[in-house]
Amino acid sequence: MNPVLAVVAPLSVGFLVPLVHIFKKRHTGMSVIISAGICSVVSAVVALSGWDGVAVTMGGWTPELGISLMVDRLSGAFLLLAATGFPISLACSMESFGYSPWRFYVLFFLSWGAVNGIILTGDLFNMFVFFEIFSVAAYLMVSYPPRSWQAVEASFKYLIFGTVGAMFLLLGIAYSFMATGQLNLGILSQMMASVPPVTLSVIGGCLVVGLFVKSGTAPTHFWLPDAHSSAQTSVSALLSGVLVKVSVYALIRLSFLLFFPVMREVFSVILFLGTLSVILGHLMAFQQEDIKRLLAYSTVAQIGTILIGVGCASSFGVSAAVYHCFNHMTAKMGLFLVAGALAEDRASRDISHMSGLWAHRPLFVAAFALFAVSLAGIPPFSGFMSKWLLLLASTKEGHIVPALAIVAGTVVSSAYYLKVLRAFFSPSETPVPHRRPRPVSGRLVALLSVLCVLLAAAPFIPGASSVLFSVGDSAVDGASYRDVVLGK
Amino acid sequence: MRAQVFHRWIGAALCLSLGWWMWRGLIVSADPSLFGPAAYYVANTASDTGASNIVAAILFDYRGFDTFGEATVIYTTVCGVAMLFAKRRLRRSSWGLSPIVKRGMGMMVPFILVYASSIVIMGHITPGGGFQGGAVFATVTVLFCVIYGSKFEASRISPKVKEVIESSGALLFAAVGLWGLAEGAGFLANLDAGFSSGPIGSLFSGGAIPLLNIAVGMKVGAGLSTLFYSMIKILEDPAEGPPPEV
Amino acid sequence: MIHVSYGCAIAIFCIGLYTLITKRNLFKTVIGLSIMEGGVLLFMVASGFIPEAGPPLLPMVGGSVNPLPHTFPLTAIVIGASDVALALAYIIKIHRHYGTVDVDKIRGLRG
Repeated sequence: MNPVLAVVAPLSVGFLVPLVHIFKKRHTGMSVIISAGICSVVSAVVALSGWDGVAVTMGGWTPELGISLMVDRLSGAFLLLAATGFPISLACSMESFGYSPWRFYVLFFLSWGAVNGIILTGDLFNMFVFFEIFSVAAYLMVSYPPRSWQAVEASFKYLIFGTVGAMFLLLGIAYSFMATGQLNLGILSQMMASVPPVTLSVIGGCLVVGLFVKSGTAPTHFWLPDAHSSAQTSVSALLSGVLVKVSVYALIRLSFLLFFPVMREVFSVILFLGTLSVILGHLMAFQQEDIKRLLAYSTVAQIGTILIGVGCASSFGVSAAVYHCFNHMTAKMGLFLVAGALAEDRASRDISHMSGLWAHRPLFVAAFALFAVSLAGIPPFSGFMSKWLLLLASTKEGHIVPALAIVAGTVVSSAYYLKVLRAFFSPSETPVPHRRPRPVSGRLVALLSVLCVLLAAAPFIPGASSVLFSVGDSAVDGASYRDVVLGK
Repeated sequence: MRAQVFHRWIGAALCLSLGWWMWRGLIVSADPSLFGPAAYYVANTASDTGASNIVAAILFDYRGFDTFGEATVIYTTVCGVAMLFAKRRLRRSSWGLSPIVKRGMGMMVPFILVYASSIVIMGHITPGGGFQGGAVFATVTVLFCVIYGSKFEASRISPKVKEVIESSGALLFAAVGLWGLAEGAGFLANLDAGFSSGPIGSLFSGGAIPLLNIAVGMKVGAGLSTLFYSMIKILEDPAEGPPPEV
Repeated sequence: MIHVSYGCAIAIFCIGLYTLITKRNLFKTVIGLSIMEGGVLLFMVASGFIPEAGPPLLPMVGGSVNPLPHTFPLTAIVIGASDVALALAYIIKIHRHYGTVDVDKIRGLRG
């Protein structure tokens, strides 16, 4: 299937929802659900049909003149991640908001289209444009509902950081255009060798700084805990589960295509900041009293873990990082859904107020325990598998400190998840005030737990593990990317 | 106070070193000629697209997908700002200026509208295009607000109409793109998808580019006007009553 | 000569970043963002300059400057304007809640 459909379908739904709302108000909810299903199927089909590499260029031009869209295994994997995460978040939003906030659903679909665009595009400037759609939609989704002033303030902070990141990204693009006169990633990856090293360092610095800010890596992570904890439950799940991964995808794609053969220092920077995020994120999460802030800081740490895999600059490291992306998505979405439901029942996000919830919602608390154990990295759950692969990857390349940071992070995260679980299991005299039934959330959590368990088994299935490792190969191999995009 | 000064010095040092680093990274090519895709665009725009404004041809044909994304950014912002300031009735925040100004504005409006439309539909011949023309369209509504008072425009053009215009502009853009896909020439294909081009430099040239300009003009004009009204909605009532009618 | 344009662009970018880092007023922060954006746009336009060439309009007299860097700022201006509009909308909301635009007095999310 033509990859452009995966971008245009969600965007068109975003344009159609206002018209449906104005002319056929009754059908808004149904049409949103149906179109989410269609978009999800379209993205999955694009990902699978392009598994071995498909590229198209807009308007029938050659890749040098037009804008190419390209699917390979790496983008296919992230496309599947988005196609799983967005419907889950949509179902949860539908349950908690109902059908009335149609503008929210417009933003939701626009961000979906933009995410697919970032993942598919093979053009540097086009990537920036989609980054901006995605960021603007994300700022606005954080501030929904606008009554909550914390959310407004958090999204203002997110906006300032995100725009500074975008400006650095744009400056990097301007420098690379000045040096080469090209924008297609395939052609750029060939021409990077002829760029003088000083200019190359500016290009690399600007692009990487921009993507670090957008993905919330350690020295520029200040927006992330606020934005992820102030947003509504379904939006937090989406932000942590899917949207942060998109910046990681862009980082993987750009660093390997542009800088892998010519400037290895970029990977040392990624490795260093990844290690810093792991340490800082886990330590900050340990101090939090607010359950959603705790989860948000844990996201910072997990992004660092993923970046350690990227910074290893090897195919094995990238495969492990992608695998960890999937594990983190299932577990963190599940954690946010459970934490949101429980915090709403208690009408407080303070961990010390969370006692007695085991008696109240045993299944939710059990699921929380599963996700927490998985994310902390206790064998034999999925987080352990990916962290083990990351450890192997980083020690194989001779990076001992990042490996130690991952191990220490496991200990610290077990400690803070145990703190939360102890609160859940401890008895409490005060009854839980709210008892709103949550059939959809319950099913989503069940689905995510099943996914979490299945992902743990993935490395032991021969076919699945070879698929996993081929993802890393396709990320590292710039020559095959060029062959697909430039049509050789 | 001391910490603030320190903070400033750190900031200045950071910015200066950043600037020095970027300055060293500059490349100025000794050969002042076009290379790469730019040379192709300059040489072949006329035969490829039929437009005489090369920038418009790149924006709407060669790299039309960027423009699609760019228009979507505005759409997203407008939708979001309308969401931020939702559920507030438009209160009257001003009563407008004197009758002389009102009458004078009334005479100018048709000319502004003609000017805006000409910018939109001649975007492929002269500098201009959908964004610029749409912005001029939006200034009309802003002028209405300043000169006739804040309630005038909302009572004439309901927000729903603007939303319909905006969304249909966006859908028109997507539809032109999908038409090219259906013709087998790729998304946002222009002449290859069967859009005909007249003689170069005439109004009916450029294939789908005027159509896309109109789509973007609808989107931007309605969008910016919605943006303005969403923000002006929250202004307070003026204390005094209406000025005496003359 | 082109060095002057590039130098100005870099200087404007850095001035914007400095504004953003040091100023404590939300409006000035947004102004800093706009200045940064202006620097990047100037840089892009400068990278397409060719001495003694005309604008990229047909019919062409003599050579033409690089048309590609003219399209990026057109796209980026619109994107920057959207960002600024959104930032101002947020400032309006924040000002309605706190009654101030001073960062030091807005401490809702600190700590």
